[in-house]
Order: sequence, then C-alpha cells, then structure tokens
Amino acid sequence: MLNNISLGRYVDTGSVLHRTDPRIKVILYIVYLICIFAVDSLQALIALSILTVVQLVVARMPLNVTWSTVKPILPLTLFIFILNLFTIKTGNTLFSWRFILITDVGLTRAILMSLRLLFLILSTSVLLTLTTTPLKIADALESLLSPLKAIHVPVHEASMMMSIALRFIPTLIEETDKIMRAQESRGADYDTGSFINRVKGYVTVLIPLFVSSFKRAEDLAVAMDARCYRGGNMRTKLNPLRITGSDILVFIAFLMGAALLILTEVLLGG
Amino acid sequence: MASGISVKHICFAYKNDDTGEAFPKALDDISLDVDIGSYCAVLGPNGSGKSTLAKLIDVLELPDEGEICVLGITASDEESYYDIRQRCAYVFQNPDNQIVGTIVEEDVAFGPENLGIQLPELRERVDEALRYVGLYDLRKREAASLSGGQKQKLAIAGALAMRPKVLILDESTAMLDPVSRDEFLDLVEKMNREKGITVLTITHDMNEAARCERIFVIEKGKVTMTGTPPEIFSHPDKLNMAGLELPQDISLVNEISKLADKTLTEEDIRDEEARLNTAVRYARLATSRPEEPQVVIPEARRKLLEVSDLSYSYDNGRTYALEHINLSVYEGEILAIVGKSGCGKTTLISHLNGIVRPQQGQVVLYGKDGEVLSTSRKKDLARIRQSVGLVFQYPEYQLFEETVEKDIAYGLIKLQTPEENRPARVKAAAIIAGLTEDVLTKSPFELSGGQKRRAALAGVLVMKPSVLVLDEPAAGLDPIGRIEMFMTILALRDAGTTVIIVSHNMDEAARYADRIFCIKDGREVGTGTASELFKDEETAGALGLSMPILYDFSAKIKTRLKKEYPGIKLMPPYPVPSQEAASIVRSVLDAE
Repeated sequence: MLNNISLGRYVDTGSVLHRTDPRIKVILYIVYLICIFAVDSLQALIALSILTVVQLVVARMPLNVTWSTVKPILPLTLFIFILNLFTIKTGNTLFSWRFILITDVGLTRAILMSLRLLFLILSTSVLLTLTTTPLKIADALESLLSPLKAIHVPVHEASMMMSIALRFIPTLIEETDKIMRAQESRGADYDTGSFINRVKGYVTVLIPLFVSSFKRAEDLAVAMDARCYRGGNMRTKLNPLRITGSDILVFIAFLMGAALLILTEVLLGG
Repeated sequence: MASGISVKHICFAYKNDDTGEAFPKALDDISLDVDIGSYCAVLGPNGSGKSTLAKLIDVLELPDEGEICVLGITASDEESYYDIRQRCAYVFQNPDNQIVGTIVEEDVAFGPENLGIQLPELRERVDEALRYVGLYDLRKREAASLSGGQKQKLAIAGALAMRPKVLILDESTAMLDPVSRDEFLDLVEKMNREKGITVLTITHDMNEAARCERIFVIEKGKVTMTGTPPEIFSHPDKLNMAGLELPQDISLVNEISKLADKTLTEEDIRDEEARLNTAVRYARLATSRPEEPQVVIPEARRKLLEVSDLSYSYDNGRTYALEHINLSVYEGEILAIVGKSGCGKTTLISHLNGIVRPQQGQVVLYGKDGEVLSTSRKKDLARIRQSVGLVFQYPEYQLFEETVEKDIAYGLIKLQTPEENRPARVKAAAIIAGLTEDVLTKSPFELSGGQKRRAALAGVLVMKPSVLVLDEPAAGLDPIGRIEMFMTILALRDAGTTVIIVSHNMDEAARYADRIFCIKDGREVGTGTASELFKDEETAGALGLSMPILYDFSAKIKTRLKKEYPGIKLMPPYPVPSQEAASIVRSVLDAE
C-alpha cells in the first residue's frame, strides 16, 4: 500500500552523482533551489526541464523510481495548477464561461508554479535523497555547518538526529502498512466516508505508530549506548568526506548548467 | 585465572521516571560467575529479571546494591562504563531497533567509529566483520531491506567490529524463524570457538539453552538453578516450577523413564547417544503396559473457506508471492500454515479476509445457509471481514484506544452493531481471550506484554468470527505463555471456531494443528497431518521443512529399536511427548 513511495529513499545505481561528495551536492542543491525560484519565463522553464532530465540521466535513475518520486506529489501539483488557473484574472482572456475566466497570464502562472513544485521534488531527490544516503547528507551538513560549533550550536547532534529520522522512514512506513491492514480487518475503511471520518480513521493509525516510535527510540538509545556512542568529539568516519577531481568536475558542470539557466532567464525571458 | 563476569549480590529496581518511586525489585541479591571463554545461558520466564541482569552487566543500568566485575573492570566512573561496553557487545531482541546506519557497512562502522578507530584499520575491521557473518556482498545495501535473520547477523557484525571479548545476546533469536535461528546460533558458536569470545545468551528457548555449556535459571530476580544442561534438565519438576520446560527430545526420554518409574540422572542425558540408550533401556523396563494414546480423528466436515488457483504478484508479474494456491479449510479444524520467512504466508492469510484481493483465482467463504461470499466481490467484503478474523503478528503494537474496553469495541462500532449489545459482547470476548474483567477499564498501554496480546485478540474475537486466522500467535512468549496461548486457541476451536495458525515452530504445529499446509516460495508443497508430513526426514526435507525435534528424536529411537527387535511393530509418531512415550513402550513390550 505504502511501500511504493520513494520520497526520501536511497536508490543505488552507482552513478557519478552517487559518488560525488555530499557537500558539493548540498551546495549544488541550494544553487538549484535558487534557480528554480528565479525561473519566471517559459523559455527558462524549458531549459530547466532539459537540465532536470539530464540530471536524471546522469544519476541513472530508472523511470519507475522517478515516477514513484513524483507520483505522491501530483495531487498537490494539480491543486496548485487549478488554483492559479482560476484565481488569476489579469491578462488576455483565453476562455470564459459563466464565472470561470481563464487568462494567458493565469495559464502561464499555473504551469510555472506547478512545474516549479515538480522540479523542486525532482531536484531534491536526484541531488540529495535518491543519490545520497541519509548518513552522508547528515555528514555534509555537519561539515558545512561546523563553523557554527564555535558558537555552541550542537551541529553533530542535530545531524545525527536527522540521519536517524531518515533511517527509520522505511521502517515506519512498513509499520503503518501493518497497522492499517490490522484495522481494516476489524472493519476500518480509510477511503470512504466524510472527510472528518477519514481523518479520524487515520488518528487510530497514528496513535499506535507514535507509541511504537517512542519504544523504538528508547530501544535505539540503549543500543547506541551499548555501542559506546558518546557524542561527536572522538568519532572517526568509515567514509570520510574528501573532494576528488571528479567532484570538482561535477561541481563545475552543474554550476554551468545553472548559469545557463539564469542566462536564458535574463536574455530570453520576459 | 583471568576472571570473566562476576556478579556479586546485586539488587536492582526500576524507578518511575516521573515520581522516582521504585518498582518491586527486578533483581534480588543475585550472584553468578561466568568463566572467560565459556558459552552460558540465562534462562527464565518473562519478568524474571534476566534481561535486566544483562543490561547491568553491560552498564546500561547501574545496580542499587552489589558489585559487577567484567573482565577485571568494575564500573566505577564514566570512563570504566565505556571500557566495559567496548569489551561487551550486546545484541538486542528487535532487529529493527538496533540498526543506526542506513547502509549495511555504515551500521557496522558505528561502534568502532565511536571508539575513534582510524582508517585504514576501521575499514579492515568493518570488512572483516562483514565477511565473518557472510554479509560482505550486501555491504552497500540499505539495512532496512535486509531480512530479519540478516539484520541480526548485521548486529553481530557491528558487535564484532568492536573486537569484543564478551557477547551478550538478549533474546536475539526470539523474532527469527528456525532456519535463521540455527544459522545465527551456528555463527555465535563459531565466534565462541574460534575467537574465544565469552557468550552469555538470555533466552527462554530451551533448545537454544541445550547448546550451551552452562545454564543459570533465574526466577523472580534470583538464581535458582546453576549447572550444565544435563544437570539442569535432569530436574524436570524444578524446571517446570520455574515456568520452563524440557527440550522436546529430553522430554520424550523423561516420559519414557516415568513409565518405568525411574527418574533421569545427569548421566542418562549427557549427550544424544546417552539419551537414545536411556530411552531404549527404560522402554524395556516399563512397569505396566500403557493405554493406547487417544487421538481424535476429525470427522468429515463442511467446507468453510476455499482458496482456488490463487496467484499474487507485488511487481506486476515479474515475481510471484503466491502461485496457484489451492486450499480448503473445514469447519471446526485447526489448520497450520508453515513455511520459511518470506515464503508468502502473510500474503496468503491477508487474502483470507480480503485485505488483499486476488489478482488471479479466488477466495470463497461458504455461509451457513448455503450462501457463497467471494473476496473478489466488493459488496461481500464487509461480511467476509466479519466472519474471518485476522490477527497479525505482534498485534499488541496496534492497540490505540484510551481503555481496553474501547479498543476491543472498535470493530463493533465500525460494523455498526447496536450500542446496547456492545458491553456484553466486549466482556465475553475479553474473557474468551483470557483477560479478567478489571482490565477492561485500564489503558491498554498499562498492561503487560502478554495481556496486551490478549486484548488485541479480544478485539478480533468480539466480531464473533467463524474463522480465526492467527499469525504467529505465540511469537516472543515464554514457555508458559505459549502453552496458555495454545490452550486459548484449543478452547476457541472447541467452542466452534475454525482456527488457522501461521507458525514456524514445527513442534507446535504438529502438536496443536489437525492439518498442516506447507508453502515454499509461494507454492503449496504439501498438505496433510503431522504424521504424514513428518513421516521421516526425507519426506520433511522434500517439503523444505525442518523436522519437529520430537519426531526427529523419536525416529532415531525407532531406528535403534528396529535393530534390536527385528520384527517390532512401530506406530507413526504422536505429537505429544507423553503419547509418543506410551506408543514406544507399547511397541517394545509387544515385541518382547
């Protein structure tokens, strides 16, 4: 039921992006985030689509994985599309019937906003979650934010918490699935009934999920104690982060892509 | 001699986190010594304090009184805690709750990273540990995608990478199927033998304990018995008093010796050879000819549930979780579904009440008045779910209401049963499930593990299902808990409920089920009674089943008897040690 969601899941295809230093990926991710929000014209949007496809190819992401990444976000995308389409009344009228008014500005906005969201998810996946293990993302953040340690920000602890949270996502999804099946056997029905009833139905799933998460957290804390975890000070790393030549190449290539995007926006866009 | 683990006069009580109030003592003036390099078991029922003891040894809790010395180190200050934890590796019960790393090798590295081990030694340790447990090829895999058995091996690898001197197993095999459990224990024994690692296993699995060198039996926070397995197992009554039972093979020898009015000595059961000799010797000395064991042969009954040509694939036909399954369930029987982890058992039972609906084939329920309900028809689903109750594994983790009463009533509300009928039905269900009435008003989260499971069971029984499907109903329970659970199941059957149990304990399947359905890699490989399926090792092996320990041992006795009495007439095996003992003794007396 829930196990075909790949949001936040790592898929190893052994591509160059998988091997790239996670710090570089985090920086590139921020650059692309800015780009995605800077894009404001259809021309630049096309360039962004091409870039995203190239990224997916470079990451050797299978189509079905890409699809399952995008799928859960589609309803929201559609919602944003419709919202923009029907609420923006400026520009030339393309279509009008009774109270419905669709304008060219509305249509462009709708396409732009909904695609932005899609690209946001795809970039997050391809640059971070799908190609980088949570532990590496945490490593990267820890390393990038380490200057903050000087002002007593618990950077190591925060990154450890994050990586553990991510590590438990598949476990919790599996558990949710089990609980839902058990309650369905007892007559629960999550798909029909009024909205309020459906929300109530999910509450009965969430309670046991919370309870067991607390139990897991307790167990895990003891297990970490037993394995001599005592904070970040003395810890070494099995796979320490090291920038290599290919990392720099990836960095430059992706930066050029981003630059191209901005250029398209500035030169060809509105 | 270098000391191993020495526990001296330890007292310990858990404290309430909020009030600081102490609970009753979990450990009460307990003392024991574990020699370095030995392989010891701590046995005891649930709540006896055995896990607490293990946690104290690894300084995960601190004693209220007394002293623990591990490899010459006494826990005195923070530094010494880490010295001990570094030398004592700990493997917990739940495979999922001890994995820190997302990727297999990252998890193995977690311990040595904490110790500050530098590269390249760190890499060497990780690779060596992974090779040792046989997970090296999976080192880049996501840890969450491993099977239960593999996850426990991963935990062992994580422990090994810290180069420990002591390995503590805290019910580490409780959640594993028999094949994974044997592999896991073989690995542990190898570590004990080759690396000289001292092993202390906390368990209530008697067969696991039988493999150890030394056993400590703990009851209510005290050590009540200490000795080698033969020493311990030659006192079956004392063991029963402690809420434990004999391993099935020794139990058979014990039952035979009872018929000869003899009590077992340590020598009698020293090893398998001695056990066989004792069984044969005492079978001859029986004082009187025992009655023929009564086994109820089920009469021909009405077909209640029928699965026909059922196939199911999770990945659009690339691989099949179920392939052409045919299964009929008859009214009033107990049917066991057995097979290895991942063989399709859960997918199959999820079909029985339409939680998963057939992609090919069908599942049909025959109602009392001749009506036919199919899970393929959406309008039949509600009726089917009411008639076929499904209790998944570890159902205690699925309770959610404020009170047990409300939790049990959940299904009734969903089915819109009239409100005035509910309290009586809830109460009745709770009692059948083995709960007392006073529990009903409590929060489910206050109950003990065993009570929680019963509350979850009551939540399904309240719907008055005509078929009850139970996935591993006794998983994780101690010997007494297991027996009580099966007594409840037998009582349900006697009251007219048809029961389907999924189990990987062959001895229990043979003992309690009328028929056994064997599934392997999604296909049916055999259906029949225990004595048909477990006729001999060859038949069982062909079905991919491990022989029940009782049957296996009794077959060895019978081989020996055939040599001694060429014309002896032997009966097919019975599933209960006392019955089988009677049957063997009768055969021997007849032959003489």
